Amino acid sequence: MSAAEKMSRRDEMETLLPFYLNGSLEGSDLEAIEEWLASDPAALAALGEAEAEFSSTAAANETIRPPADALSRFARALDAEVGPARKPAGSSWLAQAWGRFMAVPAGVAWAAAAALLALVMVQSLVQPGGQSHDFEIAGAQDDLAKMPFALVKFKPEAKMADIAGFLDANKLKIIGGPTADGVFRLAIPATTAADYERLRGLIAAQPLAETVIEGRKPADGG
Amino acid sequence: MTAATETDRALVDRVAKGDRAAVRLLFMRHHARIYRFVARQTGSEMMADDIANEVFLELWRQAPGFEGRSEVSTWLLGIARFKALSLLRKKKEDWIDDEAAAAVPDSADTPEVATMKEDKGAALRRFIDALPQEHRIVIDLAYYQGQSVTEIGEVLDIPVATVKTRMFYARKKLGEALKAAGYDRGWP
Repeated sequence: MSAAEKMSRRDEMETLLPFYLNGSLEGSDLEAIEEWLASDPAALAALGEAEAEFSSTAAANETIRPPADALSRFARALDAEVGPARKPAGSSWLAQAWGRFMAVPAGVAWAAAAALLALVMVQSLVQPGGQSHDFEIAGAQDDLAKMPFALVKFKPEAKMADIAGFLDANKLKIIGGPTADGVFRLAIPATTAADYERLRGLIAAQPLAETVIEGRKPADGG
Repeated sequence: MTAATETDRALVDRVAKGDRAAVRLLFMRHHARIYRFVARQTGSEMMADDIANEVFLELWRQAPGFEGRSEVSTWLLGIARFKALSLLRKKKEDWIDDEAAAAVPDSADTPEVATMKEDKGAALRRFIDALPQEHRIVIDLAYYQGQSVTEIGEVLDIPVATVKTRMFYARKKLGEALKAAGYDRGWP
């Protein structure tokens, strides 16, 4: 091995030593370092030098002291962002699930929406008039299956709280979805085709809606 | 599994479900290192305080999308690095506070004179602090944050080969500075 090659190998080993010391080396790099440490008398001295750098770097970092009240200030910032934590005894499991769901941007909440939908479907059935009723699961599925509906995709940046507010204000309910593409099936509380078109237009005009596709319309055919 | 042994990834899963206790646990585990990482990068503890807080709020927001392709610590360091760079870019002027100014080597002493006043460990610490930032950050990430070559590449968004090159030059500079101060370590 020439002097140049030897130096090159030494350079390589010196480059890897910090990663050997922090325990992150593996595979052929780890084998190369271990072989070098076992065979080259200069290697152990080099390891000692790297250990000194390790200690000095730790000392340099640890002179920096984070503020003692950092956690309490973070907790306040989190409360400001998502609202104060709810007391478990004061809210139902469904309300808690909904609260968590609402804190998530719509773009990352589609999967959660599917799970929540299942919860909503076993909790209540909303008739076209907007009233909630207890129901038998089979009957609920039958009724929901007969309702007029539209297929809606919301914009990824739309906030779930805004979507929920809009749906509530217009007595719209999610009855299916999301698909892999994020498309929901929305029950439309319309008894005539004209009502259906009005509501479909209203949804399409919302800044939070990306796509609205006509589904089943009321039987009068409008 | 107790909270003390629960893995970071399991805690992130809990955060994704809206568990605030889990985000507080992660804060307690990682805040100091994130804070120091940003403070060393920006030279400002005030910025470090704001950014470290923001990193954990970002953890809260992004937890549902965390795919676990990297360690949680690497993910948090990457967020911190991005936020620090964004803030520094916004500030445009090369802002430096009193604490950072105090860390700059005193030009009244030559390196030799300064070194005579301190032991090798203290000299080494001073030389590490005086490294160019792109070299010092690699040293910090490997020695203090325990990151692998690949993880440093992820945090800094640079190729693995660049991480190795920067580590090589960082250590070479430290060796040369020590040699100039009378501590010859045999390499480079």
